[in-house]
Amino acid sequence: MSRVDVLSPLGATTGEVKPPARRGGSLAGLRVGILDNSKPNAEVLLGRVAELLVERAGAGPVTVWRKPGASRPATVIAEVVAGSDVVLTGSAD
Amino acid sequence: MLGTDAFASLAEAAAAALGVPHLRLVAVPHPLGGIDPKLARAKADDAVDRVIAALTRDPAPPALTSATPTTIARAPADIDLFQDFALTEGWSDGMPVLPPTAERVERILGALAARRAEVIATLAPRRGVATLETIAANLALAGALPEHLPVVVAAIRALADPRFNLNAIQTTTHPCTPLLIVNGPIVRYLAINAGANALGQGHRANAVIGRAVRLTLQNIGGARPGREDRATLGHPGKYSYCLAENEAESPWAPLHVERGFGATESCVTVCGSEAPHNVNDHGSTSAEALLFAIAGTAATTGSNDVYLGGEPLVVLGPEHARTFADSGWSKADVKRAIWERARVRLDRFSPENRQRFGVIDPERFRGRLLAEDVALCASPDDLMVIVAGGPGKHSAIIPTFGATRSVTVTIGD
Repeated sequence: MSRVDVLSPLGATTGEVKPPARRGGSLAGLRVGILDNSKPNAEVLLGRVAELLVERAGAGPVTVWRKPGASRPATVIAEVVAGSDVVLTGSAD
Repeated sequence: MLGTDAFASLAEAAAAALGVPHLRLVAVPHPLGGIDPKLARAKADDAVDRVIAALTRDPAPPALTSATPTTIARAPADIDLFQDFALTEGWSDGMPVLPPTAERVERILGALAARRAEVIATLAPRRGVATLETIAANLALAGALPEHLPVVVAAIRALADPRFNLNAIQTTTHPCTPLLIVNGPIVRYLAINAGANALGQGHRANAVIGRAVRLTLQNIGGARPGREDRATLGHPGKYSYCLAENEAESPWAPLHVERGFGATESCVTVCGSEAPHNVNDHGSTSAEALLFAIAGTAATTGSNDVYLGGEPLVVLGPEHARTFADSGWSKADVKRAIWERARVRLDRFSPENRQRFGVIDPERFRGRLLAEDVALCASPDDLMVIVAGGPGKHSAIIPTFGATRSVTVTIGD
């Protein structure tokens, strides 16, 4: 088959990969942050998971932050990071 | 990170774009919205062991991906076979595309070739780097010409403005896409249609400029249909959505002048828009009378603008615009009158939606009587009015995504 060179229309990405935070093996005594993405029932799902992390794994306390509507960026990231050891958040629906 | 299985591709793409491809997604069965909270709790019960594992065990290192993607690809020379290739690569919108050969991209860049690596914007959700050259490759795919490049580049710059909220527009389930409104002398130079069928087919500049912007957003921005672009239905304007304002037949100052630009400057305005909804009024002969049909079409229960306070656009056909002007109304008068009349009573929202938007926008939805109403947007100034189209007694309402603001920039620098 006859071929032709074409320029990719995708281009590069910013391409940065950050190292993951090390996991400690246990959640006992770790502060749980919830960043509710404001989608319907996200609070219920994330809240119940956090409740179970407290019950089953000894995590806690739990603090909840909300995005100002599902379609708007979170404005509290720095606060969430400062106030939590582990964070649960929702993506999309 | 938690989400539903139907949206896993978007969650994973978002994590990768943010530089944390190893972040564990714990997916629960779709849907989560619109179900009894008891069922949502049960999904949490099923997911908790996976959440504990994700938070206590180190994640596997991400699969190695090439830091610099292939910039040159070997494609079939046969134009029909090239279509299959472009679709497989995810470069196409489904309609025939033209191969972005070095020669064609070079022709589109023209005098800008020396600045080919210049970064115009970083586009969400992929955080793709839009250089002049890569944008030109998308113009080549779209069948656009060198003279269209400055409009597309200006539009891309506008789309990356944080006020536009591109990440949400690109990834939402809502059917929105950038609508381009072009103003100024460039409209005549490029023959961008502002007259009859301004939002329809048949004019090359409208077709290829809008299409090149869409392909740039899909390719560089990485909003692939059904993957990162999560539109439930989408709308036909996602192929191309570009018109010019019919300044010659408008009784008022055009959009860009209203926004502080000079009448002889050329500008493009981007809006995060739904499809147009027609307003048919062949009978009314005064501004007051014409308001009934326009306001009645503009205010609807399921509208994002009504829920979230966006910037709905009223595209007045020249004859409807003339009816307003002949009644002595300015554009500001038209905006205020539509805003006062285009309202939805609170008893026309379901209790669940009143509760939901009472949390998101308490000022407009919470603690109010059911007989009270909400306007189609937060203030009359948020309503946009332009004049476009040809002879006839039609106008259109174009709602927006809501959580977005239109952005106007000059074309060319």
